[in-house]
Amino acid sequence: MTTLTHAPPSAARLRRLLPASAVQAVTWLVVVVGVLLPIVPLLYASVQDRPIYEAGGVFTVSPYRQLFADPAFWQTVRNTLEFATIATGLSVALGGAAAVACSRTDILGRRVWTKLLLLPILLPPLGVILGWNALYGPGGYATNFITRTLHIPLNLTSVIGMSALGTVVAMPVAFLICQASLANVESSLEDAARSVGARPLRVLSRVIVPMMRPALLNSALLIFTLCIESLGIALILGAPAGNEFVASYLYNTWSNASTIDPGAVSAGAMILLLCAVGLLLLRRVLLGSEARFISVTGRGRGSDKLLELGRIWRPILGVVVALYLLITTFAPILALALQSSVSLLTPLEAPWHLWTAGNWRQLGQPVFMSSIRNSVEIAAVGAVLTTAVVALATTVAHRSTFKLRGSLQFIMMFPRSMPGIIVGIGFFWTFVLVNPPGSALRNSIWGIVLALSIRSLTLAYLVLYPALAAVSSSLDDAARSAGAGWWMTMRRVVLPILRPALLASFILLFVSILNDYDPALFLVTPGHEIMGVTMLDSLKQGSTGPAAALAMVQVAVTVVAIVIGTAVLGRRSRRTHA
Amino acid sequence: MPEIAVDALSMSFGTNQVLDNVSFTVHEREFLTLLGPSGCGKTTTLMSVAGFLRPDSGRISCGTQAFYDHAAKIYLAAEDRNLGIVFQSYAIWPHMTVFENVAFPLKVRKVKGEPRRRRVMETLGLVEMADYAARYPHELSGGQQQRVALARALVYSPSVLLLDEPFSNLDAKLRERARTWLMGLQRDLGLTTLFVTHDQDEALSLSDRIVVMNKGSILQVGPPEEIYRRPDHRFVAEFLGHCNIFTGHVTHVQDQLATVQLDTTQQRLTLPVGAGAPGDQIDVVVRPEAIILSEDLSQLSQGVNTYRAKVRSRAFLGDHYVYELELAGLPLTVTHPTAFSAAELTVHIPVEACRAMTNHTETTLI
Ligand SMILES: Nc1ncnc2c1ncn2[C@@H]1O[C@H](COP(=O)(O)OP(=O)(O)OP(=O)(O)O)[C@@H](O)[C@H]1O
Ligand SMILES: [Mg+2]
Repeated sequence: MTTLTHAPPSAARLRRLLPASAVQAVTWLVVVVGVLLPIVPLLYASVQDRPIYEAGGVFTVSPYRQLFADPAFWQTVRNTLEFATIATGLSVALGGAAAVACSRTDILGRRVWTKLLLLPILLPPLGVILGWNALYGPGGYATNFITRTLHIPLNLTSVIGMSALGTVVAMPVAFLICQASLANVESSLEDAARSVGARPLRVLSRVIVPMMRPALLNSALLIFTLCIESLGIALILGAPAGNEFVASYLYNTWSNASTIDPGAVSAGAMILLLCAVGLLLLRRVLLGSEARFISVTGRGRGSDKLLELGRIWRPILGVVVALYLLITTFAPILALALQSSVSLLTPLEAPWHLWTAGNWRQLGQPVFMSSIRNSVEIAAVGAVLTTAVVALATTVAHRSTFKLRGSLQFIMMFPRSMPGIIVGIGFFWTFVLVNPPGSALRNSIWGIVLALSIRSLTLAYLVLYPALAAVSSSLDDAARSAGAGWWMTMRRVVLPILRPALLASFILLFVSILNDYDPALFLVTPGHEIMGVTMLDSLKQGSTGPAAALAMVQVAVTVVAIVIGTAVLGRRSRRTHA
Repeated sequence: MPEIAVDALSMSFGTNQVLDNVSFTVHEREFLTLLGPSGCGKTTTLMSVAGFLRPDSGRISCGTQAFYDHAAKIYLAAEDRNLGIVFQSYAIWPHMTVFENVAFPLKVRKVKGEPRRRRVMETLGLVEMADYAARYPHELSGGQQQRVALARALVYSPSVLLLDEPFSNLDAKLRERARTWLMGLQRDLGLTTLFVTHDQDEALSLSDRIVVMNKGSILQVGPPEEIYRRPDHRFVAEFLGHCNIFTGHVTHVQDQLATVQLDTTQQRLTLPVGAGAPGDQIDVVVRPEAIILSEDLSQLSQGVNTYRAKVRSRAFLGDHYVYELELAGLPLTVTHPTAFSAAELTVHIPVEACRAMTNHTETTLI
C-alpha cells in the first residue's frame, strides 16, 4: 500500500467554511423574511387611519372600532364559531373512528379505504364544494329526493349544512393524525388486554381510545384552526343566502368597497391571525413540541395483528365506509362532471335531454386557457422552489451548527396556521409598499407564486423533517470526517438520501398549490388569473356550467399528478427495499 | 504517523459531568483501547478527538497540530482533522455503491480519474472487498459493510484511525475473525489507532495498551497483561474478567511479604507487599484461574496460603471446569482443567497471584 498522505487542502478550508455559513444564513433569511413579509404590513395597515400608500397616515385603532361596530361582523363571528365547532366535533369523531377501523380491525376493503378516505384533502376544495352544490345544493340533483322523500331537512346554504361539508373536508386530517398515532402504538397492548379476557369492543373503548387522546386533541385543534379561516364554503354556498363567515365577510367587504378600504379588513385579518396563532400556541402547550410531527411519523406498521370483527360486522362496516365515500366524495364529483356537460342544472329533466358540449367549448376562451396554464405553471414552479428552499432550511434547522437554527423550526410551522386571506391581503400590501419589485411581481405570476409557496412551506417541512430525522446523523459525521464541509455533506450525502421525500414533497406541494386560491383572490391582476379565481368569477357572473367544467379540469390534473406521484414513489421504494 | 495527545479533557452535558480530567496519549503506530462500561464516556472522548463534540476544557493535539485547545481558543472542524473514523453503525451511505462510498473522500480531496480508481480498488483489495465494488450497501452482510466502512476510513491514508465499537453488530464467530484481521491490518499499515469498546476480551486481545474508564474518569492505563494481572483498582479487576475479592486488614509486613487477616474468618493470607501498612483495611484480588486445586489433603499443612474448602458446585465449560467453593465461610470461584469429584479439596493460592489494593469503599460494582 502506498503511503502518500492526502491531507485535506488547508487553503480550501476558508473557501469551504465561507459558503457553508453563507448558505445557512441566506436560507434562514429567505424563510424568515418570506414568512414575515405578509404579516408586518398587515399589522401596520390595521392601525393606520388611511390606506398605507397615502402619505400622512397617523396611528389609530379606528379600523378595529369600525369593525367591532358592525353587527354583520358579529353575526359572521357567531356563524364561523358554530361552523367550526360542529365541523371539528364531527370530523374528529368520524376521522378517529375511521382510523381505528382501518388500522386496527379487519374491516372489509381496509387497504382501499385507507387510501380513498384521504381523497377530500387532495381534491380541489372548490371542485368538492361545487360538486356538493350540484348534488345537495338548492336545486341540486339529490336535494328533492332527500328533503321530500327521506324527509331530511337538508339545507346546504345554512350554517348546519355547510358544517356537514366542512366535516367531510376536514375528516381526512383527523384520519391521518389518528392513524399515525395508532401506528406507533404496539398492538401487544391490545393483545395483553385481550389475554386477560377483555372482549374486542371493550378493548376498543378501554385501551385504544384512551391511547388516542393526544391525537384526537391534536386533530381537533388543527381542524378548528382550519375551519376558522375557511373561505370557499361560505363564499359559494352561504353568502348568497346571507350566511357569511368571517373570511368571506372580509373578502366581500374588500371586493365590494368603493374605495380600496382595507382598514377594517386588515383589522379583521389581524384578528383571524391572532386566533390562529393562539390556537397554534395552545397546541404547543397542550401537546409539547413533538406533537407537531405526529401527523407524518406514521410508519404504516399496523398490519401485524388486527381485531377480528366477525362475519356480520366485517362486511357491514365495510359497506358503511363505501356508502360514506359514495355520498360525500364520488357522487358529488360525478354530479360536478354532469353539471359541466349539461346546459342547465335541474333534477326535473333527464340530463341526457340537456346534453351540451357548450361549457367545455367555452374553456377555449383565452381567460380560461390562460388560467389553466398559469395554475399549472405556478404549481410546478412553486412546488420546485418551495421544496428546494425547505429542504435546505430543514437541513439548516436540524443538521447544522448555525446559531439561529432553532428559530427556523418554529417559523416553518407558522404559515400553516396563517389564514389564506391574510397571506393574500398581507402580500397585497407588501407589493404596494415594497416597490420595486412589488408591482413587477403583481403584474406577473410571480407574486402569486410567492404567496402560494409561502403558504405551502409548512407542508414541505412536515414531509421532509421526519424523513431527515430518520437519516442517522452518523451518515453526515462520516462525510465530515472524510473531509467534506457542511455544504458538500448536504449536497452529496444528505439530500440525495432524501430523494424520495423530496419527490413526495414536490407532488404534495404541486397538488396543494394547484388547488389553493384564497391568497390569490387578493393578488390576481388581469391576464394572470389562476383556475380557482376564474372559477369564482364565473360563478359570480352566474355561468355555473363553465365553472363546473373548469373544476373538472382541476380535479383531472390533481388525479393525474397523484397517480403519477404514487406510481413513481412506489417504484422507488420497491427498488430500495429490494 | 503522528501521536494523539489528549490532555485534561472535561465535558458536561448540563449538570451531568461526562468527562472528568481525561488525559492519555496514543503513541505512533500504537493500538490504544478505551475500555469501560456503557455510558462511561468512551464515545464522548472519541467524538471529541474526531471533532464532533466540543469539550468544555482541555487540549487535544495530533503530532504538532492542535485540534482543540480551550485556553488558546483553538477548535479545528471535523473535516479538517484528516482522521479515519469507523462508526458503530458503519454509516455507509445507502445511495452510493461500495465503490462510490470509498471514492468519496478522494473526491473531496480532488483526486481524479485513474489514480482515484486505482486507489479505491487497492483499498478495497486490502479489506478483501474488491469483488463487491458495484454493490449497494443493502446488498452486503454486516461483516462486509464493516469492511467497507474501514476501507472508506483508510482510503485517504489518514494519520490516525478511530474506531467506535466496530464489531458490536457482528455475531460471535465473525467478530473473532474481524478482530484478527483488523489487528493484522493495523500492524501492517502501522496505523496509530484509537479503539473504543466495552468488551474486555476484545480489548485484551487487540490492544498495545488499554485505558480503563469509569464514570468519565480514567482508572488505569497499561498493557493488557499488566491491567489484567496487576489492577490498581477493584473496579478494574472486576471489569476485566472474573475475580475473587477478599477484604481484610494487614497484620504485619516482613521480607516484602504482608500477612492479611481476612474479615469474618480466622484465616490469614500472605501476599506480596502492595498497598497498605500494618493495620490498614485492604482488598485482595485473586483471579480464579491462578488458584491451584488438589484432591490430596496431605498437602494441607505445607506452604503458605493453603486451605481446605468445600465444593458447592462444579460446572463444565468445555476446556475447563468452574468450581464454586466455600473457604471458611467465604465463597471462592476457581477454574481448573481437571475434574475433581471429592467433596473437599485443597486450595492453594500462590503468593504472587494475590494483588492487594486499598479499600475504595466508594467504588461500586458494575
Ligand atoms: N447529547 C447528549 N446529551 C446529554 N447527555 C449525553 C449526550 N451524549 C451522551 N450523554 C451522556 O454522556 C455519558 C457518556 O456517553 P457516551 O456515549 O460517551 O458513553 P459510552 O461510554 O460510549 O457508552 P456505550 O458503551 O453505551 O456506547 C452518558 O451518561 C450519556 O447519557
Ligand atoms: Mg458509545
